[in-house]
Amino acid sequence: MTMGTIRMARPLGRIRAYARFMGAAFAFNLKATLEYRVNFVLQFFGMLLNNAAFAAFWMVLIERTGAVGGYGFSDVMLVWAFVSTSFGLAHIVFGNVRHLGRIVMEGGLDVYLLQPKDVWVNVLSSRTIVSAWGDFAYGFIVLALTSGTDLQRFALFAALAVPGALIFAATFAAAESLAFFMGNSSAVSSALTEFMLSFSLYPEGIYGPGMRWALYSIVPSGFVAFMPLRVFKSLDWGLVPVLCLVAAVYVGLSYGLFRLGLGRYESGNRMDARV
Amino acid sequence: MAAIVADRLSKTFSTRVRPAGRLSALRSFLRPENRDVEAVKGVSFEVGEGEVVAFLGPNGAGKSTTIKMLMGILRPSGGSASVLGLDPVRDRLELSRCVGAVFGQKSQLWFHLPPSDSFRLLGAIYEIDDDDRKWREAELIERFGLAPFWDVPVRKLSLGERIRCEIAASLLPAPLVLFLDEPTIGLDVVAKREIRQLLADAARIDDTTVFMTSHDMGDIEKVCKRAIIIHHGEVVVDETMKDLRHRALSKKYVGVRYASPVNLDLPSLSPVKRTAVAASYEVDTREHSLAEVVRALAAKGELEDITVEDEPLENVIAGIYSARTGAEAQAFGTGLPGAGRAAPEALGA
Amino acid sequence: MRSGSLRTYSIAASTSMRERLAYPGNFAGSMFTYALFVFIFSRVWAGAYAGATEIAGYTMRMAVWYFIIAEIPSFGFGRFFWTLSRDMKSGQVAYLLARPYDFVSYNYAEKLGGSLAEAGVILAEGIAVGLLLVGLPPAAAPGAAGLASALSEAGRLGFLVVSLLLAGTLNYFLQAALAMTAFWPEENEAFFWIFQKLTLVVGTLIPIEFLPRWAARLAVWTPFPYLSYAPARIAVAFSLPEALSLVARQSLWIFAAVFLARAVFSFGSRRLSVNGG
Repeated sequence: MTMGTIRMARPLGRIRAYARFMGAAFAFNLKATLEYRVNFVLQFFGMLLNNAAFAAFWMVLIERTGAVGGYGFSDVMLVWAFVSTSFGLAHIVFGNVRHLGRIVMEGGLDVYLLQPKDVWVNVLSSRTIVSAWGDFAYGFIVLALTSGTDLQRFALFAALAVPGALIFAATFAAAESLAFFMGNSSAVSSALTEFMLSFSLYPEGIYGPGMRWALYSIVPSGFVAFMPLRVFKSLDWGLVPVLCLVAAVYVGLSYGLFRLGLGRYESGNRMDARV
Repeated sequence: MAAIVADRLSKTFSTRVRPAGRLSALRSFLRPENRDVEAVKGVSFEVGEGEVVAFLGPNGAGKSTTIKMLMGILRPSGGSASVLGLDPVRDRLELSRCVGAVFGQKSQLWFHLPPSDSFRLLGAIYEIDDDDRKWREAELIERFGLAPFWDVPVRKLSLGERIRCEIAASLLPAPLVLFLDEPTIGLDVVAKREIRQLLADAARIDDTTVFMTSHDMGDIEKVCKRAIIIHHGEVVVDETMKDLRHRALSKKYVGVRYASPVNLDLPSLSPVKRTAVAASYEVDTREHSLAEVVRALAAKGELEDITVEDEPLENVIAGIYSARTGAEAQAFGTGLPGAGRAAPEALGA
Repeated sequence: MRSGSLRTYSIAASTSMRERLAYPGNFAGSMFTYALFVFIFSRVWAGAYAGATEIAGYTMRMAVWYFIIAEIPSFGFGRFFWTLSRDMKSGQVAYLLARPYDFVSYNYAEKLGGSLAEAGVILAEGIAVGLLLVGLPPAAAPGAAGLASALSEAGRLGFLVVSLLLAGTLNYFLQAALAMTAFWPEENEAFFWIFQKLTLVVGTLIPIEFLPRWAARLAVWTPFPYLSYAPARIAVAFSLPEALSLVARQSLWIFAAVFLARAVFSFGSRRLSVNGG
């Protein structure tokens, strides 16, 4: 299967073409989002409410016990902020990331195989999730509430959220790519997704050493939540490139898994795909 | 006594209007603007006991709204309804014991359980004691041929089998009136034919009054004896199927084929379709004598084939549906002034 | 007007329970999430109890068992609103209304029956996970032995089951009252979210005793503690007088909720505007 491979002849030109393509996809999706304003506002407040409930829980608990697993109240809130913003960004830019498995199973890749763009990038970015804008904004709101309006902190937060978003997207996409190899991977994928999200939202210190290995490898909560928090608190810009490198590795692995799977892809038996 | 009476029944819905432009959602939230939509405007008809009536109309004509008012689910905005002598809204509970309903796309069967379980629960809902229920079930299983899948979960049934179960289920409490909303939607030809036969039987055997909507002419022609057509919220046609078919009879399609080319034009009639040796004509029998047309065509040359067909009922109804006003629809096909012909597409079909 | 016999409602409940059990795959998702939640919270509590043996009268083992029981109503009885709202918005309600039964009671039987299967499965799972993570829950009557101990264990189990059923019932009628606001055309989901999150904070994620005193004192006058706190409290700190009082308060709130649900239904169905065409 060679369709959709990035031709490396003029790398710079290709990169510019891809940037333009993703920009266009993004603008298109943004327009679609604006069609569902009411829905968006409802979802946004729903999410605020949900997060407020957990914030109340932590406030009450930490009031009673002091730091839990090494985290004070503001630490927990910042972890929520990182997870929320990176998770939101991942779903804004790569909105199909949690539908990839279904698309593969239903033979929906055919459409993308026919277009002259890399299949992976094309599939993932051809949709956006409306409610993700709420998640994205939430992190900044929390940041403003906990750290004031220090511009450097905002910049660092944003710089850390980008690799976080890439790691989220790469992990979810890898979990969904299992659909190439298993008949129905939805149970495994949604379990992995839930692991990743749930583990990221609690203090790092509550997990044992064995768990922590997992959280910096197969379920990389460490790279989207715990490590960004440490970097952020110590204002250590030097670690941002390290996190970007980690993100690149996750993206590379996820992309490789997808290409491997694509080799086994058989166009689905969906009626509309065949006609 | 009439089983169903609708007397100037009307229903007005109040819907929220969203203003156009920026911040529309916010503005409509702050200052909601409502607009009244008249879904049904003064519909009157009567259906006798044991009658089988087709209730027709294009999408959005007010069919479901009318049925829901007759079932006591919607309160009429004006006029009155009476089913089996009861006021549907006031006596809803009493009425619901004697009325059955099948809505083609909504199921009353439990998806993961076999039909037998759903029947048992329905028996309890309608307070039929177990012996009566079993006796009635046995009869319905026999009539509807449910035995092969009586103990198979509903999700494993084909659509045709499922609809058979749905209709049998709605007949379990032996309703005096049965409302059906598009019972054959999505079914294949064979399944449709079975369902129609079963419905006709239900009316005959149980003496049930059947009131059904459908978009399928076959349903209506095979099952119903009378058609009520509503359009733009008004009754535009209420007549027996025979009379309705009569509207079609004023028009005939004559098709001819000759052994060799001939001049295919008649003095006052041109073919609507022609090749060198064959043609078809649309004959309005109020203007031309059919016998004369046939005689004239036979005289033109050596005929290999000649066919005479009625206008399909579907064309008549399509004409009524596409009318813009109630009056225009009423007049359609009757030859009365205002009988604008909406081009029937299936010419010569 | 009431109609329908007890038999009707019990058959409805059992049919809907069997419908759920016929497809056990349905439970897998919530069983997985529940186990994950319980595991993470057992770790959170381990972290919180790192420097203390008792907080607000709870030991760590009590806190974990509290969470295991308190989450059961959320998982077992947390979705009535959605199923009812869906029925109403899809027009399925037309079917349900045109039947000779009392709509509110019939739906209660049908929906609660279905969810009992799920709640039972989650309860069994919770007990298994709890035993695995922290061992037996604290004894119902510490210090008692033999017959006395067996009696109080049985009493606790009895009260726990009753309290869970009451929590399910209260959940149903409150959610039904919220869902039936769909008789009015406005979006009603926001009400439910607020309800759901308040339930979460007031007594599900954390025992009421942990709340600041003013909040705890306020909370007992709301229905929220009776949705999850009551059974969880009975499970981890059983005493006959307190259990009786909790169950009694649950019952009182059920009366209020039934009244509310009936009021919404009778107003709502009167101005019914089912989408028709």
